[in-house]
Amino acid sequence: MKKKRLVFWLMACLCLVATIATYFNTNYRSTIAVVTSAKQLSAQVTKDQYENRDRIMTQRLTLRVLNHQHRDQTYVVKNNYAESQLLDQTYRQHQRVFVQIRKKQLNIVNPKRDWVIVAIISLLLLLMITLIGRKSWRILLSLLLNSSLFYLVIHFDIQKNGTKTILIYSVASILFASVTFILYQGFHRKMVAMLTSTIMSLLVAFGLSYLIMQLTHEKGITYMAVSYATQNPRSLFLGQTLLGVLGAVMDESTDIVASLGEIIHHDSQLTGRQLWASGRAIGQEIMGPLINVLFLIFMADALPMTILFLRNNNAIAYTFEYTLSLGVLQSLISAIGIVLTVPMAALAADIFLMKKRGADQ
Amino acid sequence: MSTMVALLLVLLGLMVGVGGWAGVRSYLSIVINFLLIFFFALLISWGANIWLTAACFIPLKLLTIIYLGTHKTKIADKSFLSSFSVTLIITILILILNYFAHATGVGDQAGEDLIGLSDAPGLNFGAIGVIVAIFSTLGAISEAAVAMSAGLLELRQSNTQLSISDYYQSGLNIGEDILGTAVNTILFGFFGSFLALFIWYSRLHYTFAQIINDKLFVQEFMIMIYSVIGVLLVIPLTTFIVSHIKK
Repeated sequence: MKKKRLVFWLMACLCLVATIATYFNTNYRSTIAVVTSAKQLSAQVTKDQYENRDRIMTQRLTLRVLNHQHRDQTYVVKNNYAESQLLDQTYRQHQRVFVQIRKKQLNIVNPKRDWVIVAIISLLLLLMITLIGRKSWRILLSLLLNSSLFYLVIHFDIQKNGTKTILIYSVASILFASVTFILYQGFHRKMVAMLTSTIMSLLVAFGLSYLIMQLTHEKGITYMAVSYATQNPRSLFLGQTLLGVLGAVMDESTDIVASLGEIIHHDSQLTGRQLWASGRAIGQEIMGPLINVLFLIFMADALPMTILFLRNNNAIAYTFEYTLSLGVLQSLISAIGIVLTVPMAALAADIFLMKKRGADQ
Repeated sequence: MSTMVALLLVLLGLMVGVGGWAGVRSYLSIVINFLLIFFFALLISWGANIWLTAACFIPLKLLTIIYLGTHKTKIADKSFLSSFSVTLIITILILILNYFAHATGVGDQAGEDLIGLSDAPGLNFGAIGVIVAIFSTLGAISEAAVAMSAGLLELRQSNTQLSISDYYQSGLNIGEDILGTAVNTILFGFFGSFLALFIWYSRLHYTFAQIINDKLFVQEFMIMIYSVIGVLLVIPLTTFIVSHIKK
């Protein structure tokens, strides 16, 4: 018990030091400055063409440069921002910012935010260690491995310059699933059943969705609305959807196959029909909440844009098409995958756990 | 027929086929959830108070997800109580960290999408960012709360002689499994919405320092961690609520 507490405090100190060190770090390629004073000068009421009132604020900022050739020089700049802070923003005293200096003119590029990222990761680590202790390493390792894999896949995608996107993300999904299952489950028959169920569900769900898209001639899908697209938005959208639903399908396959495995282990008289019924009973309980998890992640993302579109007097149908429709489509395809996982997981349990049990005896 | 309508119908058919009556209820919960999000956007765009509107919509969304997704009211009651408390804690955390992260509004990458839109629409986008973060975590929090209270109630029913310390230990064991799978759902859910943005970063050769200071990255990354922290907090809180509130 004492040792556990010691580890916790050691970690807490380490995290605190890391956050503070990141906050004060000036070792960047870009120039960094600190706002030494911020004074509110004026506020001007504006109205846009839709009668929306906002206030344009002006503040006078004094900045001291912290690194590189202009180090310790002081600059005074004016910062104009709309009170909505949609595109521009206010700056506060003591805030650290990235700047550009050209011809004795200082321009603020971006606030320094990395220390908040370190702080929130620290908080997560400490909470995890306190609550579930030593076993958190597996979760952390899977986060780390999958993120590195994600990074590699993106680089591969860029190397292929946006061609074969669907193939790349299909192979990537299988890789992601294999890594995660081996890490969490180890390599045995149950894990093979879970992996098979995951791959089959995604395959059938995407096959079915693709068929529907072809049959309806992709009517009403506005690929133009894919945000930040730097390559063919259609394949990008499919890649996004595939990756997005993968975790949920793995989650569900794990739950169903593990529970069915227990039932098969304890009841040697179990028939195939009973297995299906149990699989359905477990699946019914988890599919609804799982669909909602993804749905909220995909939809909440588009909320600011939706509000902005509506605020600019756009029609509801137009707003929906350009901001929410792709999120809804992504959720629908994901939901189909999540529902299809229920029979697929039962089927995988039947093939890998039931039939093999007969062979062993 | 448009693709979306066709997909909606196929999904309904599949959910009824696989889930029966429970499938219909789950389907309904998703539809209501969508309508809630859309009404929220509409109300805010009409100038309704953001905090008050959110205070009404957050419990409504939790109620929809939990009560339409679970059959047993006993499980639903406990789940609602614990997910609502966790949401309150997470909200405080989001308010503090979002203040320091200073990442309001839309990213520079949205440039093209903003053509023709007012850049001073008279809405508090800092507050909207906070609400977006809370909404994103609601799904993960309520899913974990339902799984957790279902497991704990089952445990108490099958084993009435359980001592307090054994009960807490089992609670942790159940929680660990839930956390492991929930983290995957959340992580890949965000990979799914991150993908285009990350390809953008790589194509334009952003440095590591540029990425982790970028407004959009910070927004998205923090939302992802808020969700995981939410699921983590569900574990002890649900264990506490199930053991102390007997009904």
